[in-house]
Amino acid sequence: MNEQPQIERQRMDVDIVCVGFGPATAGFLTTLSKQLINPDGTPAVESATMPGMPPQVLCYERADDIGFGVSGVVTKARALRASFPEIKTAGIPMATPVGEEKVLYLLDPHGASRRSTALRLADSLIRATKFALPVENHALNLPWTPSFLHKHDGMILSMGQFMQWVGAQVQSTGTVQIWPGTPVAEVLIEKNGNAAVETQSSEIKIPLTPSGGESVRRPVGGASKVIGVRLLDQGVDKKGNPADGFTPGMDIHAALTVVGDGPVGAIGQQLDAQFGLPPGNHIRDWAVGMKFVVDLPEDTTLKAGTVLHTFGYPEPEIFGFLYVHPDRVASLGIFVPSWFDSPARTAYRYLQHWMLHPYLWRHLKGGKLRSWGAKTLGESGQHGEPHLTGDGYARIGEGSGTTNVLTGSGVDEAWATGTQLAEAVLELLKAKKPFTKQNLDETYVKRRRASWVETEGRVAKKSRDGFQTGVATGMMGLALAGLTNGKFSLGSAPVQPWKRIPTVEDYYAGRVSREEIAKVREECKAKSASLHGTLMDKVGWPAIPFDGQLLVSHQDALLMGGKVQAPHGYADHVVFQHPELCTKCGERICIEACSGQAIYPGENGGPAFDREKCIHCGACLWNCSQANPENPEHMNIAFRAGTGGLHSAEN
Amino acid sequence: MSTAYQIVVCGSIVPDPLQTLEPVAAPTGPALKNEMMLPAVLDPWAGHALFEAANLAKNTPGSKVWLVALGPKAKLQQVMMTVAQKVPFELVALDGSASGFTDATETAAALADAIAAIPGLDKSKLLVFGGWESASRGAGATLQMVGERLGITDQFQGVDQLTLNADGSLEILERIEGGKHQVSKCAGAPALLGWATGNLPEPKNNPQVGMVNMRTVMPALQKAKPTKLAGEGLTFASVALPKQLRETQIVKDKSPDEIAKEIVEWIKK
Amino acid sequence: METILVLAHTENDGSLAKTAREALHAAATLHKSLAGSKLVVGLVGDNVQAAANSIAACPATKYFGVTGAEFTQPRYGTDTAAAEAICKTAQATVVVAPATSRWARVLPGVAQRLGGRADTHVTGAAAADGKISVNRWYYRQRMESSQTRTQRPWILGIDPGSQSACDCGAGTASVEMVAVNLPDTAKRTTVVGVREPKADAQTIRPDAQLLFVTGAGWTKKQADGQTHVPEAEKLILGFLKASRASLGSSKSLVDLGGEGQAVLPFLSHLNQIGQTGATPRHAKGLSTCCHGEEPHTVGWRFINERRAISLDPNCGWARGKADVLYVADAFQVIAKVNELLA
Ligand SMILES: Cc1cc2nc3c(=O)[nH]c(=O)nc-3n(C[C@H](O)[C@H](O)[C@H](O)COP(=O)(O)OP(=O)(O)OC[C@H]3O[C@@H](n4cnc5c(N)ncnc54)[C@H](O)[C@@H]3O)c2cc1C
Ligand SMILES: Cc1cc2nc3c(=O)[nH]c(=O)nc-3n(C[C@H](O)[C@H](O)[C@H](O)COP(=O)(O)OP(=O)(O)OC[C@H]3O[C@@H](n4cnc5c(N)ncnc54)[C@H](O)[C@@H]3O)c2cc1C
Ligand code: SF4
Ligand code: SF4
Repeated sequence: MNEQPQIERQRMDVDIVCVGFGPATAGFLTTLSKQLINPDGTPAVESATMPGMPPQVLCYERADDIGFGVSGVVTKARALRASFPEIKTAGIPMATPVGEEKVLYLLDPHGASRRSTALRLADSLIRATKFALPVENHALNLPWTPSFLHKHDGMILSMGQFMQWVGAQVQSTGTVQIWPGTPVAEVLIEKNGNAAVETQSSEIKIPLTPSGGESVRRPVGGASKVIGVRLLDQGVDKKGNPADGFTPGMDIHAALTVVGDGPVGAIGQQLDAQFGLPPGNHIRDWAVGMKFVVDLPEDTTLKAGTVLHTFGYPEPEIFGFLYVHPDRVASLGIFVPSWFDSPARTAYRYLQHWMLHPYLWRHLKGGKLRSWGAKTLGESGQHGEPHLTGDGYARIGEGSGTTNVLTGSGVDEAWATGTQLAEAVLELLKAKKPFTKQNLDETYVKRRRASWVETEGRVAKKSRDGFQTGVATGMMGLALAGLTNGKFSLGSAPVQPWKRIPTVEDYYAGRVSREEIAKVREECKAKSASLHGTLMDKVGWPAIPFDGQLLVSHQDALLMGGKVQAPHGYADHVVFQHPELCTKCGERICIEACSGQAIYPGENGGPAFDREKCIHCGACLWNCSQANPENPEHMNIAFRAGTGGLHSAEN
Repeated sequence: MSTAYQIVVCGSIVPDPLQTLEPVAAPTGPALKNEMMLPAVLDPWAGHALFEAANLAKNTPGSKVWLVALGPKAKLQQVMMTVAQKVPFELVALDGSASGFTDATETAAALADAIAAIPGLDKSKLLVFGGWESASRGAGATLQMVGERLGITDQFQGVDQLTLNADGSLEILERIEGGKHQVSKCAGAPALLGWATGNLPEPKNNPQVGMVNMRTVMPALQKAKPTKLAGEGLTFASVALPKQLRETQIVKDKSPDEIAKEIVEWIKK
Repeated sequence: METILVLAHTENDGSLAKTAREALHAAATLHKSLAGSKLVVGLVGDNVQAAANSIAACPATKYFGVTGAEFTQPRYGTDTAAAEAICKTAQATVVVAPATSRWARVLPGVAQRLGGRADTHVTGAAAADGKISVNRWYYRQRMESSQTRTQRPWILGIDPGSQSACDCGAGTASVEMVAVNLPDTAKRTTVVGVREPKADAQTIRPDAQLLFVTGAGWTKKQADGQTHVPEAEKLILGFLKASRASLGSSKSLVDLGGEGQAVLPFLSHLNQIGQTGATPRHAKGLSTCCHGEEPHTVGWRFINERRAISLDPNCGWARGKADVLYVADAFQVIAKVNELLA
């Protein structure tokens, strides 16, 4: 590796810099922006960088526009209502109050899914007694669902539309600025009061993948203080080397860095790598949620406000959701989790099979794809809670372990922690106290620990462990933990995702022979195609009857739904860190699982990356079957900050 | 000798080019389905005009750039957050429809009034820029009418290059048929240039430029004048998407020779 | 009663271009379907007499001309003045003009001066029940409208290539010369010349009948497990030479070239057809070794007849995107095609 010449970087000083504009930061800025100026227009608190002015607050968002990088949702909207007491769904496109809620257990009409013996038994029991049970169209409508799952009094939103709405509200105060299309590349850390700023890349070329465990951690020598962020370099080649129009990313110095970059954000990853996780915590549970926004057929009987949740099909581990917006529009999709132990876990094809399930298809047939997208859900919850604060920084939202897997709720929690931090910040600003770890703990963390986010998160903490050992136990675990407020739970602590991924041969054992798999590998290699399509065909998944408007090829969905694009002049943000591991890797699950077919079989079959098709779902971060030799808590793919992605604000 | 210019760029927003567009009939005439939900961008050719303007201003000290944009306020604000990081300009915002179905004449009238109202405007320094066609109406008509209203009779369309001569005259390259460029020499400002792509790469995001622009962007949006475009005298009988699907004949069992023969016949037909 | 004026400019050699005849055709058709309408012709340029004579057999009843050295240059100041003068003298209510680069520059400005309206990129004009309606496309050719206007004069810029050209014969026309009062400001601009394009866009031929699209399959491993790029190159260039087709490509193929692999050196992003590429107009299109994904095929919007050769019977082309899909090896087929064309 050749020496990097010293790069001259511009610097800008502000008071507060935020990373990412998701619900968490939106909650933060909503609360903060309202209180920075007095009604008479004078600053309520004063900026340290621009005396006489209110504090300068900037937010940098990676995606090309506000609302492109988020997903959801049905939400109880407790925290949202606290911020907007007058909120009316009528003023927000695609929003509506929650109406009817159903939870459905979907039977497998094709017999192609991989079900345990116990589950098969249960299925036959359901089919045999269907005269007595609410079974229709191969689905059991659970007659009773625990109350913690209910979202009544809540709202169905398009997160994209909601975020655009909030963005406009927040910016019209004139006190904060949100800059989309501007990824934050790195966090700036000052050590021991040493003026020399350390960034992740100045020390190691490859920014670290997310930290999980305590096993490997960079030494925290003395006091380390976050002093701001560095924006992404522009005008570089795929590898990040200066090219035409090279513009080094600017350093933004701030007294407080607010990190709300979600479950796979690069800055959260770097902080975890730098500071480790609190003892006993680990980030090992993930899911990728992939969704369609659909124009329902004109004669649809689905009413706005309807909420359907499904489990059991297309694989027992895959959960589905369908929410009905006003004007015959529905958001629907599935979650494919890291504990679905398949090396061919492709969300796109499974989503199509799910839509084609008789119970759903009768509603969807004749529908039209409007929007498509995918995003990782951090399922570790409090298990994965990082250090929430440090000198000069605070973490909010899903990346700080807020998402509640028990209730399937992330937005409200993220928002709530944002507002808690804003209140804390206002308190500190008014008291003219610095943003030290101690001060942030006494204001922000204190509020958070005292809130419902904490108590409910604690209940949820244990609930999901059951899924590590199987879906039946998992569902039981969910119920048990939910009903006993977390006193009881099943199962064991989760393991690193890569450890769970079996070989293709083992996964299909008994269904596709080794010889056949070898043949499929050869065929697919010649065509530079992924394996899952052929393998799924072989175990009995029917062909998808493409109709050109709802059932479309994966590539077509990228355009028709995702409108995916990437600006030129940025480095690849998905990096195979040890190519030699890929060469001998048999699973290549990165290719099979990639939500955008952006990772594809390249030269000699190893994975290659096409930035222009990447939707930044972050699934590749945890869809790799090989441990990183430097840290077995991580895998071989680095998922860094990058530009581009979805250009739809309806998800 | 270097002249300082007042460069006024006319440019609004259009749906992000990859979006799926579908016309619907609204009470006020045709519109796009979910128009307010579609992500928007600065009209690409107008964007090139803005970047050229900024570059010109940078190279001619004392010059200044305005961006006059007519569009729905909320969408304009959103798009400005992307554009404002690119180059320095002062925004003049008009709150109204940016739909492609609005009448160019009415849009032009609103823009010309807004330009004429810019404080301290000096015609002898005025260069009006814009995209030669919008990606919405795609007419290539608005700018000419803005120019007429402002009394500018040196107008150029499909401009790819503007060079300042030492004597203050302008050399301009316009796209004409056959991939060629017409080269013209214009005595100087005032002039109007409808830009094609030009030669400049899209400027990189610069957070500092963004911060400075924001000082005028937000106030401009707050006082954006509501502008009504009535579409007087214009009636749309229909707006429709072209039919897309064909009956595909799939030929599976012919030899390459037979297929080749068929193709050659078809090509020659 | 409408007075339909065909407004055209002459070429450098004094002739009328095909685009002018297309506008004439559109105007004559409109005139025929509009009872009581009048058709007149206005010409601007050097030697308008010869141009008028060349179409003297057309149904126009009157010819107007503006001529003189000042009006040879395609220049806004003088062209608007000339067009304005002719429109006024002819008392035109509907002006039909070819949307050449020269006229596109000035027509809307002329409408503004006359207090009328201009519609550009018009692809069709028709009259029914005494009412004129025009067709044009919106949002980068995504949707087509039919619209009418009450204001006059109504200037229509006819998109080149959208009409057939009027084949009326020559004769002797009597041209009424219209004097134009040129203010000094009309001549602040001088047209200095024309710059030719660089000679690289060789394989893109906008005027070709046929678009030939090459997909990534040309560079992929074939049945024998090998790639055959040199052969692909030979076949593609051979086909282009024999057919004079315009060369288009899928994104995947040009992307490969962009990564320094120099797969097919004559291809660049300029050749890319599709959503993020070009949307050319050709009568026919032949796709080879391309999968026919939606982002690619939306670029075929203006290709009338479409055929594809792919090994995959389930590729996008099979799903209503081509008229004929040949499931075959393009290497073999094109080799044979080249033989037949030679
Ligand atoms: C398919 C799906 C369905 C869901 N449904 C529901 C639901 O029904 N109800 C519910 O309550 N929750 C739901 N969730 C969960 C919910 O979306 C998340 O919990 C919530 O969005 C978390 O908010 P956040 O602000 O913490 O992070 P995010 O929403 O992830 O936002 C982080 C933001 O930071 C940006 N960012 C990341 N890195 C950088 C960087 N380096 N520089 C700048 N910006 C950066 C990202 O682009 C993003 O905009 C769903 C999730 C998915 C994936
Ligand atoms: C937002 C977005 C925008 C995009 N924009 C564009 C765009 O503007 N233009 C564009 O083209 N793409 C675009 N794409 C990419 C597009 O989705 C496809 O990936 C691309 O068009 C595929 O190119 P291809 O068909 O050449 O390659 P492949 O998908 O690799 O297909 C190759 C085909 O060749 C066939 N083949 C192989 N060997 C032979 C042989 N000997 N004889 C016959 N057939 C053979 C194979 O069967 C296969 O069908 C875009 C994608 C996105 C997400
Ligand atoms: S990135 Fe991981 S899963 Fe993909 S090939 Fe390399 S080692 Fe295997
Ligand atoms: S490469 Fe992009 S689209 Fe593919 S899994 Fe990774 S983040 Fe998602």
